[in-house]
Amino acid sequence: MRPTRLGAALTAIALVPILAWTLFPIYWITAASFKTELALYARPPQWIFSPILDNYARVLTTIPFVQYLRNSLLVAAGTTLGSLVLGTLAGYGFARYSFRLSGAVRFLVLVMRMAPRIVLVIPYYLMMQRLGLLDTRTGLLVAYVSFALPFSIWLLIGFFADVPIDVEEAAMIDGCSPLAVLWRIAIPIAAPGLVVAAIFAFLVSWNEFLFALILSGVEAKTLPVVIAGLNTDAGPLYGEMSAAAVMVMLPNIVMTLALQRYLVRGLALGAVKG
Amino acid sequence: MRKARRGVTVVLILAIALAAGGGRAAWAQSKSLTFSMLAGYKEDVLRASLPDFEKKTGIKVVVDAAPFADLYKKQLLSLSTGGRYDVLFMDEPWVPPLSEFLLPLNERVKALDVADFVPTTLQAGAFQGTQYALPVDPNVQILAYRKDLFEQKGLKPPATWDDLLAAARAFHDPAKEKYGIAITASSDIQTALYMLLAQWSQGAELIDGSGRGALNSAAGKKGGEIFLELLKFAPPNARGYTFADVNKAIQLGQAAMAIQWASGARPMEDKTKSAVAGKLGYARVPKAVRQTPMRGVWTIAIAKNSANQDAAWQFATWISGRDFGQAAIKYPSATSAIHSPRVSVLKDPGTRAFLPYADALFDSLQIAKERPRLREYADIQENLRVTAGKLTAGELTLDAALKEIDAGTNRILGK
Amino acid sequence: MAARGRGRWFLLPGLLFLFAVDLIPLAYAAWASFYDWWLIRPRDIRFVGLANYLQLPGDPEFTRAVVVTALFTAGAVLVEFVAGLGLALLFAQRLPFLRPIRVLLLLPLFVVPVVGATMWRVIFHPEVGVLNYYLSLLGLGRPPWLSDPTLALVSIALVDAWRSIPFMFLVMYAGLEVLPAELFEAAAVDGASAWQRFRHVTAPLLAYVMLLAVLIRGMDAFREFDIIFVLTGGGPGTATQTIQILNYRAFGLGHMGQANAIGLVTLALVAVVCWVLIRAILRPRAVPAA
Repeated sequence: MRPTRLGAALTAIALVPILAWTLFPIYWITAASFKTELALYARPPQWIFSPILDNYARVLTTIPFVQYLRNSLLVAAGTTLGSLVLGTLAGYGFARYSFRLSGAVRFLVLVMRMAPRIVLVIPYYLMMQRLGLLDTRTGLLVAYVSFALPFSIWLLIGFFADVPIDVEEAAMIDGCSPLAVLWRIAIPIAAPGLVVAAIFAFLVSWNEFLFALILSGVEAKTLPVVIAGLNTDAGPLYGEMSAAAVMVMLPNIVMTLALQRYLVRGLALGAVKG
Repeated sequence: MRKARRGVTVVLILAIALAAGGGRAAWAQSKSLTFSMLAGYKEDVLRASLPDFEKKTGIKVVVDAAPFADLYKKQLLSLSTGGRYDVLFMDEPWVPPLSEFLLPLNERVKALDVADFVPTTLQAGAFQGTQYALPVDPNVQILAYRKDLFEQKGLKPPATWDDLLAAARAFHDPAKEKYGIAITASSDIQTALYMLLAQWSQGAELIDGSGRGALNSAAGKKGGEIFLELLKFAPPNARGYTFADVNKAIQLGQAAMAIQWASGARPMEDKTKSAVAGKLGYARVPKAVRQTPMRGVWTIAIAKNSANQDAAWQFATWISGRDFGQAAIKYPSATSAIHSPRVSVLKDPGTRAFLPYADALFDSLQIAKERPRLREYADIQENLRVTAGKLTAGELTLDAALKEIDAGTNRILGK
Repeated sequence: MAARGRGRWFLLPGLLFLFAVDLIPLAYAAWASFYDWWLIRPRDIRFVGLANYLQLPGDPEFTRAVVVTALFTAGAVLVEFVAGLGLALLFAQRLPFLRPIRVLLLLPLFVVPVVGATMWRVIFHPEVGVLNYYLSLLGLGRPPWLSDPTLALVSIALVDAWRSIPFMFLVMYAGLEVLPAELFEAAAVDGASAWQRFRHVTAPLLAYVMLLAVLIRGMDAFREFDIIFVLTGGGPGTATQTIQILNYRAFGLGHMGQANAIGLVTLALVAVVCWVLIRAILRPRAVPAA
């Protein structure tokens, strides 16, 4: 159903303030990464200026940035994979199999997410210490999957529940195993849900600070801890912080662009008809 | 009954701590130290000189840096659960509560040239007669002022608090966005420390001889009033200011004066951040009944359960020594400010080129006053911070605030 | 329903993992909350039962924090929900120029919260910040964004909204995408207006997703820490001191018993509100479309 010309025009007009509001701070951060601190506070504000690369140079030379980037990437990838696999299975399970206490168990899953992180940090620390997982990427991964899982499960319950059951049953009659049904039919139809769950899990892991700070030391340190370290006792190092933040944003953008095409309606219809 | 339950609990805690401590093996290699450090520019200064140390001694130092807001927490957690740090970079108020877990250094210190330490800095690492840490980076409150503006008006830098108020009034011109003095009036800790400085100067004390809160006194009240009076000549939005904003106000030429920690003075001279670099003068903080710049020394301590105590001691003496001190001061980052605690370094004529405020720093350190050395001090300071924040936000009157500070102190100390 | 037995085993891996990893820390926190335990006095730990909990209602700082948290959460989530939904509906239209812009809307989510908040501080700076620069040019003065008690609360909600509207948008947009287009077309053919289409077709189908978005965002806003801490640190005074900041301070000083008690009270409060919301909105639908 195509919107009217008027609708399209109004939409375009509405987009201007929306994008301005959303993108202005991003622009400001990016600009700050190419400015000196004095220029950042210049009045009138400098929208056009000649960029300097000093901030990036300082960040890349004084911090083992690449090592931390690797850590962040590996942990985030692992978190995404872990939450997707476990979340898909559990989400599908809840959607298709209801037992007497399923409502209560589902709520309990959500409750796992309600405690403030700081309360969980110390017992996690002790647990990881006992398991020898302190300052390892695995330790962080386990924690992050547990953060992302409740939302993934609940989200995917909704998306899987909306998959038409007759299609699945037809496939079962044709001899498909439940796992195959999940893989070939349910997942493609619920794809947008999986995309959201994946992006969410990636972001939870990528931006998380508190657990990374406490659970990691030298080996497994991730980027948010490094960035927080630029908030020194003498005040934030705006230039370096912005440069680091810009570099940290990029993998997220790449990932989202890659996943974008699954976020569309077409896939759903295609699966049903085909 | 109670004793039995307590015993079980202690055993449980110890059990966890011991089980947790089992993981230390990985770090207990000889000739390798794990160092808990403050992240940021101080870390940069350290890393620049670390290769020298490693080459000279053959000891490898693994640096685990944490941001300032979280360093204490991380050290407390690690030390109290059987930790993995050998050496720790500690702000002096943390030494009393963490002393429990630190190696006493009295014997070892005897072999050092202690005369070369600025005397008050060595005290920063002591608690109840035992030396637990060596000074590395002394900091103290100083007065920074716009030499050029003062010369224009033919004024001398303020020596007393009355002079300070008069000067602030003279330079305060909100219409031109020029303000007398930059201080904080937010719920940031600096606000409380400014107020405490004013109160100390009048002769007041946070805690009296019998360990009770003593700020609610005539002197305390006078100090508080002067502080509130001073706020009138601060930028209008000082209520949202942090340590860094005080610097900003000077750097952007808005404020004629600032009371600031010496480490904050360095960014004021950084040309990429400051429009007034080179135009600043430095002096001791003003006096009233007495002159009491607040001391804040970063120290180096050794964990009691470190498996490499000798190596740790070597590191501690190096980082508090002359060579590192010289290198640290000369480190070419404009924000880096690890001040050496060594007299020989601070009084070196070459130092002034890198630290324009070196004289003010040294003079102030001689008479610096320390905050109460108590295990519970972190809590007392928290209470001070929150209450001072409520005072400046208008939630409390000065009388009520002073009463609340003392009440909190007494409650925390169990009086 | 033939579907019934199949899902059984699928549930296990996820549930086992979650409970193994999360229940133990929660149990530990609960256990610790019954003790008077100060980390700097490791030999002086006493069992005090519910004392840590019972002292909370009488502590004015705590009750004030509850109010601040409630105001912040309700305000922020409401704005984020409405804006996110509006954006999702806007972008669900079949307009070609919308597709490439989607990613742009998500950018705030990719900024590390600490940096985002720090930059907003710069923007909010009353004298030299860019926001007030233009506001003063427009004759609107220079509002003290972070130093006026009421404005500070608005400011942190604003920054939270900036950061989280993209999330709400993403979730609800995905929800809209899986809705069969035929339903809308049928409704349009039947002459329903846009609002009627939304109210009677879209909203009921989207209810689960909308509820989930609000629940998750609500839980996160309730526990929000980084943004508030960087922007105002709980100030001015205690105007923006949420339960989380209070909790953080307690932990920071090593008061394990009290801090854990506050944490579990937080959990209880959030659980109650969630439960009420779920019953109110999901009950009529039981398990969605099962």
